[in-house]
Parts: sequence; structure tokens; C-alpha cells
Amino acid sequence: MHMRNKTFLRHLSLIIALMMFAGVLAACNTGSGESTQGSAEGGSSTSKGDKVTLQFYMLGDAPKDLPTIESEINKLAEADLNVNVKFNYTSWTDWDQKYKLLLSSGQPIDLIFTADWTFYQSYAKKGAFLALDEMLPKVAPTLQAHVPEDMWNAVKINEKIYTVPSTWIEYVTEGIAYREDLREKYNLPKPESMETLEAYLEGIKANEPDMIPIADSNANHTHGIRQLNSKLVNTAGQLPYGLDIMYESPSNVASYWGSAQHLEDLKTYKRWMDKGFFPKNVLNVKDTSNSLLQNGKAAVILSGENPNKFNADVIKIQSTHPDWKLGYFPYPNAKGFAQPVHPIHNGFAIPRSSKNPERALAFYEKLVTDKRYNWLTEYGVEGKNFEVQDGYYKMIGDAQTNGFPREGMNGWAWRNPEFMLYDKSFDDVLTMFEELDKIKKPDIFTGFAEDWTPYQAEKAALEQVEKQYLYPLNVGLVADVETGLNTFMEKAKQAGLEKIQSEYTKQWQEYLKSAGIQ
Amino acid sequence: MHTRARDSEFTMLFQVIAYTFILFLSIICLVPFLLILSGSFSSNESIVRDGYHLFPTDFSLEGYKMVFKFPTQVLKAYGVTVFTTVVGTALGLFFITMAGFVLQRKDFKYRNTFSFFIYFTTLFGGGLVPWYIMLANYFNLTDTYTVLIFPGLMTPFLIILMKNFIRSAVPDELIEFAKIDGANDFRIYFSVVLNLAMPGIATVGLFLALGYWNDWFTSSLFINNPDMYQLQFYLYNTMNTITFIDQMAIGTGITLSQDVPTESTKMAMAIIVTGPILFLYPFVQRYFVRGLTIGAVKG
Repeated sequence: MHMRNKTFLRHLSLIIALMMFAGVLAACNTGSGESTQGSAEGGSSTSKGDKVTLQFYMLGDAPKDLPTIESEINKLAEADLNVNVKFNYTSWTDWDQKYKLLLSSGQPIDLIFTADWTFYQSYAKKGAFLALDEMLPKVAPTLQAHVPEDMWNAVKINEKIYTVPSTWIEYVTEGIAYREDLREKYNLPKPESMETLEAYLEGIKANEPDMIPIADSNANHTHGIRQLNSKLVNTAGQLPYGLDIMYESPSNVASYWGSAQHLEDLKTYKRWMDKGFFPKNVLNVKDTSNSLLQNGKAAVILSGENPNKFNADVIKIQSTHPDWKLGYFPYPNAKGFAQPVHPIHNGFAIPRSSKNPERALAFYEKLVTDKRYNWLTEYGVEGKNFEVQDGYYKMIGDAQTNGFPREGMNGWAWRNPEFMLYDKSFDDVLTMFEELDKIKKPDIFTGFAEDWTPYQAEKAALEQVEKQYLYPLNVGLVADVETGLNTFMEKAKQAGLEKIQSEYTKQWQEYLKSAGIQ
Repeated sequence: MHTRARDSEFTMLFQVIAYTFILFLSIICLVPFLLILSGSFSSNESIVRDGYHLFPTDFSLEGYKMVFKFPTQVLKAYGVTVFTTVVGTALGLFFITMAGFVLQRKDFKYRNTFSFFIYFTTLFGGGLVPWYIMLANYFNLTDTYTVLIFPGLMTPFLIILMKNFIRSAVPDELIEFAKIDGANDFRIYFSVVLNLAMPGIATVGLFLALGYWNDWFTSSLFINNPDMYQLQFYLYNTMNTITFIDQMAIGTGITLSQDVPTESTKMAMAIIVTGPILFLYPFVQRYFVRGLTIGAVKG
């Protein structure tokens, strides 16, 4: 019995080893086989070939009427290109993990959404997408002409184009949103600098004891304050690893964490907490800041409020509390310049696993440059989902009954300025954009592709330290700020902060050199 | 006489302590559930203004009204979950009892080999990516009901549990008797084993049913069609959309056109989701304790 077991184990381990080996081989074979086959097929299928179904991947949730739109689009696409399209949606749950799986599993996907926040740059660097340079003039000349040359250049990674950028220029710069009616009622100053902001908050606290002056979750207000006080290179004030890079002198990288300014800011937050500007359980608040403002529970939003979101708040409040008024102070006004979104911000790429890359690109060209395709996918079926009134977009019914609200497919990437329809209420945002256009400067930050492989472990450790030691400081929950900051810095250094910062600085300066930025 | 009195005193004391302890534990378990229940019956404004209470301060049914205003999606998700739970549990029980029965038969020569294969996977798994590639690319199971049922059918732990249970519940002699009486293996399985293994089947069945009912991860990875979302995932996804709007929309500038459910609606959905499985518990509970202990002691 014993002997038999032993020989059996030997056999078994051999079998397992063989199976694993075969598995690896199989994976390699199919992997490389598929990609070569894909490009070979693609090369010969410039004209209409056999009918194929393109797999189209978007983030988020699908609108209710998607099947109708899909069949309408397929009617057009079948006549024009002899293709069908299947629109797939990832849903917002663990979308980043799914995105990773979709791109790493070799599953055939023909078009996928890209953005800086879905790590376009690092996926492009790793070779997850196909380069479009040679395909564009061949299969999508209209699309190539539609996107301005400087945008094509801006999305290049290692001298190659991997994504089709959206040409609609928008601003996602943030600002302070506040209750203007309360400001007037109690005669408070406009919150447009640190001093006036504090005075405003004090006035709210004194006159409206039931309100929380600052709507905040996850200590995000710090990004707002930094934009109010400094001319950082990143529009959203969210530079990683506590770094300070100013727009005027981008090659100069300093550490904000641990600096005198940092200590001073943290002391301010402590004072604010003592005065009761934050809710006591601010780190556990699950409500979005916007819902707190819309419900009249909070008076000020300091972070995340871009023109679009502010406009949404205004519309919501008009319908629920018409007697309230909202004010807005854009941070670009304090900084003196505004950066429109980088072309990387919204785009579509063709993954390496695509079986029909050229047909996919041709279809995408239609989506962007053919008004029929564009309107169907952005606004739905005319007469059923929307109508055009005096040149404005008008939804039929309301958000509950309408199966395809405006941009219901999350089609931010294929917005075409020539065809775009706006809701009447959007005029205010467009006015704001016009104002920002006057102080426009190019975004020099988003083109940078951070590669964190050299310090992946340190990065994860630092994130933990940040949550544990910095967040409480950010909302003034630590009694002794100076000691607290020292402890945080000590722990951060143990986690490898210096290594991260110096490696990041090195990469940043290389990028500046290659992009020709002084 | 004296010692006996002291014994019973100790027993009394023990029981008092034990009951207090259990009572305390049950309250800890029940309070969050009560909070959800009361939250689902509160008006949204009162939740936002005053937070959650053990008893609703401002009674309202708006949460439930909201959920059932457009019930198709919830009902579809319900249908999917009920279907996968019933089919998955039935199939899973069949396979697991079969496997357990075969693996504990002493006259099955390679039972250790096969046990090892099963046991091996509990120690070394391929990880998420190979698992995903296997199901999505090789079996092409994306957007099918099969993918919701298939991966959960056979859990190594449950097979081992079932094997040990059958070994202890069905004496070898009994199987031999049955054989002598002319029963074949299938007959033995259906008439003898299944009857004697009832507590084990109830236990494993409950595990399986809970697993299927609470499953959201497979939906999350493999289902793109909203009509095929499982109930848990449907709920989880609506919650996540809110978190997403809060976290990601900062600096991304994307606009989302979906309606965000309110607090009371979320709570009402949580109640609707957990409700039915609560009623399953009392029915299998009497088997549950016995099935689990026997399986575990011999494990």
C-alpha cells in the first residue's frame, strides 16, 4: 500500500507537470496565433468582406433602450460596412478590475473606451492596443481629418497613436460651490480666498447651527484648498505622493508633504474642525458631497465641483427648492489660468486582441463623423427619446420614463462639436467655458505616463499610511498637528516615500524633456 | 446529595452565563439588520437629516414604492437569482452526493487519487486571470446562465464534507447487505445513501443555496446584459454607481445620466434581497447542526 502510494505520487506529479506545461503551451499558442491571425485578416478586409460582429466595450451601465439603438445602428452599419456591433457595458462595479481582465485575457474586443483615468498611457505602453498610424489614412481618412493634428500628436505614446481622441473641448476645472442665498441673508463675504472662505464658513456655523458648513467625504477638500492657494501643474490639484510641481516651473519638483506650508494647512483644518465646519464622522460619510448640498444639509463644496456638476446642482435645486440660490467660484480665477481637458481624457482604442481592427476603425469613423450614427448613440431615437426645439436638445418625458437620456450610452468619447445638441440649461456651462477660454493654457500634466512598476510595493504601503495617518490630520482629528505630521512623515518614509518621489521626479523630468516643455 | 446540589448550581450558573452571552451575540447580529429594516421604512429626508434610528422616526413607504415603481428590473434580477439558486443547488447536490458516495467506497480503487485531485485545488488555485480566461475564452460562457451556475457546482470543501458524512452515516455493512439483497450501485445510492445522508444533504444544500443566492462576483465578471444580473449584483451595482459618482467624477468631468437611488430605497432593496433566504433557514436548521458537526469532527 505504502509503496503503491509512493509510485502513484511520482506518477501524479509527472502528470501535473505535463498538464501545466501543456496548458502554458496552449495559452501561448492561442495567444500569439490569434493576434497574427487578426492582423492578417484585417489587412485583407479593407473593402466590405464577410459580415462580422464588432465587440464594443464601454464603461458603466447600459441605458434601458440600448437594444433599440443597437438594432438601429446595426441597420445602418450593415448597409454601409457590412458589420454588426454588439455594445457591451462593464457596469461601475469593479470596472477597473474588469477593464484589466478584458485587456489581459486576450478576449476578442474591437473597440474599447480609453481615458487617462482608465490608465490609457500605461496600457498603451504595455502594448495592449494596436497602433493606428498606418490604418488611419487607409480606412478612416475622414476621421483623421476631423481630429486636429495637435490632438493626434498629444495622444501619442512612444511616437505612436493608440487612441482616437474626442474633439469637444471642455473644462473639468473645479471650483467652490456655495449657498449664495444664505450669504446674502447673513451678509457674508464671497468665499473666494482662504480668509473670506473661513469668514463665510464661520457665518454659516453661527447662523445655521443645524447645517454642516463643508460637504466633504474622504477628506477631499484638501485638493480644493490646494487649488485655491497654488498654481499646481495638475488641474484637479491631485498630485500623487505629496509632490509640488508648479505650472510656471515644471522641472522644479518639491515635496509638499512635510513642508511648512503643509503644516500650516493642516493647522487650518484643525482650526476648522474645532470650529465645527466638518461633521465629526467626516471620514465615514457615505453621502456624496453633492447630495448634501442639494438636501440643504451643507453650505459649501470645496472639491470635485466642475462646471458640469455645478450646473446639475443648480438644476436640481431649482426644482426642489426654488427659493435657494447657488454661487460658484472657479479655482482657475484664483490661479489665473485654466487648462482644458487633455485629448487623452476621452477616447477609443482598438485592443490587440481585435479580430477586425480595420472594420472597427471604419465603424468608429462613422460613429464620430456621420450625424445619423452620432445622434442615435448620443441622444437616442428622434421623436421617441428626444426632440430638437429651437436648436436645443429636449428630452421626451423624464429621466424615469425615458429609456435613453442625453448621452445615455456614456458616449463622451465620440462627441462631435459639429453635431452636438445641448439642453437649454447647459447654456450657463457654455458661458463658463467661454470665460475659461480667455485664460486658457495647455494641460502639460495629463500627457505624462507614470510607470509605477519600480515602486509598486512602496506605493501600496504608502496608500495605507496615508489613509491611517494623513486623513485624520486632513480633517483635524489629531490633537497635536505638528507631532501628527511628524509621525505621518516618519511612517511614509518607512513605506518608501523618498524612493517613490525620486523615481517619479526622474520619470517626470524625462517626460518634460521628450515633450519639449521648459 | 450535597455535591449534586452544587452540580446543579454550577449548571445553573453556566446556563445563565451561556444564555446571556448568546443573547448578547444575537443582539449584536440583529441590530444592523434592524437598522436596515427601520431605514427602509423611514423617509429619505429623516435619514439624511438625523441618520439611522432603531425605530423609524418618520414612517414612510417611499423606499419600497421607489423600488416597485419600475419593478421589471428588480423582478428580472429576482428571477435570475431564484433560477440559479434552485437549479444550481439541485444539480450541485446531485454531483456532490455522487462524488461523496463514490469517494468513500472502499472498493473504489482510485479513491485516494481522485480525492487528492480535489483536495489539491484547495491548496493551489490558478488565480483570477486564468479562471477568467478559461470561462470567457475557452468555454465562451460570457452572458450565459451557465456561467452563473457552473463555477459554483462543486466546491472541494463541500465534497470532502459530504464524503465524510456519508462515511459516518452509512456503515459499509449496510452497503454490503444491500448488495447481497441484489441492489446495484445506483439503487444503493438512491435508496440507501440519499436517505441516510439527509442531514448532510440539508447542510450542503443550504451552503450551496446561500452561495448561489449571495453570489454577485460571477455576474460582475461575466454578465454584460443587465437583464441577466443576479439580484445581489443588481443591488451592489446601484450602490457602486453612487460611490463612483462620488469618487471618480472628481476631475474626470464625466456626466452620468442615471438616477441615483435614495437612502431609503437602498435599504428597501437590501430587505427585499435578504428576505427570502431568511425563510429557508428555519426549515433546514434542525438538520444543520447535526450535519455540520458530524462532517466536521471526522474531517
